[in-house]
Amino acid sequence: MIRFESLNKVWPDGTHAIRDVSLEVPRGQFCVILGPSGAGKSTLLRAVNGLMQPSSGRVVIDGTELSVKTQSALRRRVAMVHQHFNLTNRMSVAANVLAGLLPTVSTMRAMSGWFRPEHRQKACELLAQVGLSPAHLKRRAGDLSGGQQQRVGIARAFMLDPEVVLADEPVASLDPKISSDILSLIRDAARERNATVLCSLHQVELAREFGDRIVGMRDGQVVFDGSPEAFTDECVESLYHGAVWDDAQPEEDDADSSVDLSTTNVSLI
Amino acid sequence: MTTRPIPVPPKGAEVKWHLSPPYSARHLLWLVLIVALLLVTGQRTDMDRMVAMTTQAVGNLIGVADDSQVVRGLSRVGTAMWPPVIGEVEEVNRMGDLDRDRLPLFSYIEVQERVEQRMNLETLQLEATTEQVEVLVKPLGYVWTVFVKMIETLEIALWGTLLSVVLSIPLAYFAARNYSANRFTYTAARGFISLLRSVPELIVALFLVLAYGFGPIAGVLALGLHAAGFLGKFYAEDIENADKKPQEALEAIGAGKIKTLWYGVLPQVLPQYIAYTAYIMDRNLRMATVVGLVGAGGIGQELKGRFDMFQYGHVMTILIAIFVFVFLLDQLQARIRARLI
Repeated sequence: MIRFESLNKVWPDGTHAIRDVSLEVPRGQFCVILGPSGAGKSTLLRAVNGLMQPSSGRVVIDGTELSVKTQSALRRRVAMVHQHFNLTNRMSVAANVLAGLLPTVSTMRAMSGWFRPEHRQKACELLAQVGLSPAHLKRRAGDLSGGQQQRVGIARAFMLDPEVVLADEPVASLDPKISSDILSLIRDAARERNATVLCSLHQVELAREFGDRIVGMRDGQVVFDGSPEAFTDECVESLYHGAVWDDAQPEEDDADSSVDLSTTNVSLI
Repeated sequence: MTTRPIPVPPKGAEVKWHLSPPYSARHLLWLVLIVALLLVTGQRTDMDRMVAMTTQAVGNLIGVADDSQVVRGLSRVGTAMWPPVIGEVEEVNRMGDLDRDRLPLFSYIEVQERVEQRMNLETLQLEATTEQVEVLVKPLGYVWTVFVKMIETLEIALWGTLLSVVLSIPLAYFAARNYSANRFTYTAARGFISLLRSVPELIVALFLVLAYGFGPIAGVLALGLHAAGFLGKFYAEDIENADKKPQEALEAIGAGKIKTLWYGVLPQVLPQYIAYTAYIMDRNLRMATVVGLVGAGGIGQELKGRFDMFQYGHVMTILIAIFVFVFLLDQLQARIRARLI
């Protein structure tokens, strides 16, 4: 279970990325975080593995609070799937997947690339599960298509059998059909291991299809929290309301939108 | 759904923007200052005389000017250097350990007549005496000597490059801002790299010859230390500028710095690393010919010796050999690079 306790994040330039977020995500849930660009979705995900240090508040994973001391141990249990795949492009697919094991293997073993047979076998099995073929093993990751790269990213994420999977807009740069496939892969692999998934998305339809639960965020605040059935078209409208204007002129609109939000908040939750 | 559009001015409204021209009076002032500065430094470095002498030389060549110091100097050196020395002749008497049944390859023994002026001690007059001297003629002897020296130079360059790579990898790790342990190690590594780079090979070699004596050790160390300064800087800057995305992915699972570097950075920067190292190899070959001038082994030592004895024909052979070697290495590198990248 992941628990966010009144989390806040203020960037050095004064931007308030997350405002007082408190959430509880039970083990095994596929929780989709929706919201316009700049709503703080990525920042929230990054709080779970310590890539982002919150200004105040805390994150607790299965009773262990994330701190400098516990961070390295917790990171092994938290996998991440990235928007831009974040593979080492000039390295082979196999090496990219095996890189998912790095926190648990010795430096000598990692540098020589001489992984245990069972680990190599596991990498092959995971690549097969995400629908790649043995011909892909030795190819450079950067030469694959976007969808294939993301599948390699998923295989890498599951190498250590994580308890939590953070998917940061995993399908933002993929077409609708592949997006759906990728999300199914993440969901199925997570279900098999009873892993919790925190997945930020832009596509409302996909969120409704895959999420056990939808969390709507705007301007760093949680403005919707409920089942996909409860996430009606009206909720979509108020969530994305004025998003275009926000992107263009954030300062001028700040006061304006916070007024808007306070009303939407009441109507949604 | 209420959406507010991206703000654009209403149609027909006057746009009160201003785009100034690219140059102004200030640029002109800067131009005048720079030209003035160039004129002063040009005068201090005798650039005016250079132009005058070169013009005179060109005039002399096309038959306008009568005399040119430059042409005289060049033609004197040119005639002295031509033809390049290819063979070698040695007196058999002076070679103690010559086995007449097993002569070196392509060589043969020849009897030459030599006329020598000797003073007759009784009459105190010079008399011409003819002497039969047995000599060993090696038709390609000097070319072979130069070849062996050139191989030694190549080896100095190779080991200098290896040494610089081995030295610069840990240096680069500490000199990369995002991997160095703390500010102190970063500053120390950067300082050390600058120090290595700031002293030219020739000067390092000069001191190392004092420490290690004449020979290749000083050459290898001089080349390696200087090139480590170069490679350390370039390697470190590539680590700093490498694509952050794979590194972030590995950091997110807690892979640790060295493993992240190995899996997230090194494969990405490898082509540049190979290019830098190839450049250093190329540079080291040229510098290896030069460090010999101060006694640090290789072809340079041979060159210096021949030059000091005014044997310009030998010097020409050496210069041709250096050119051929640099050219061949260039071709080889181009092929290796094409295969690796």
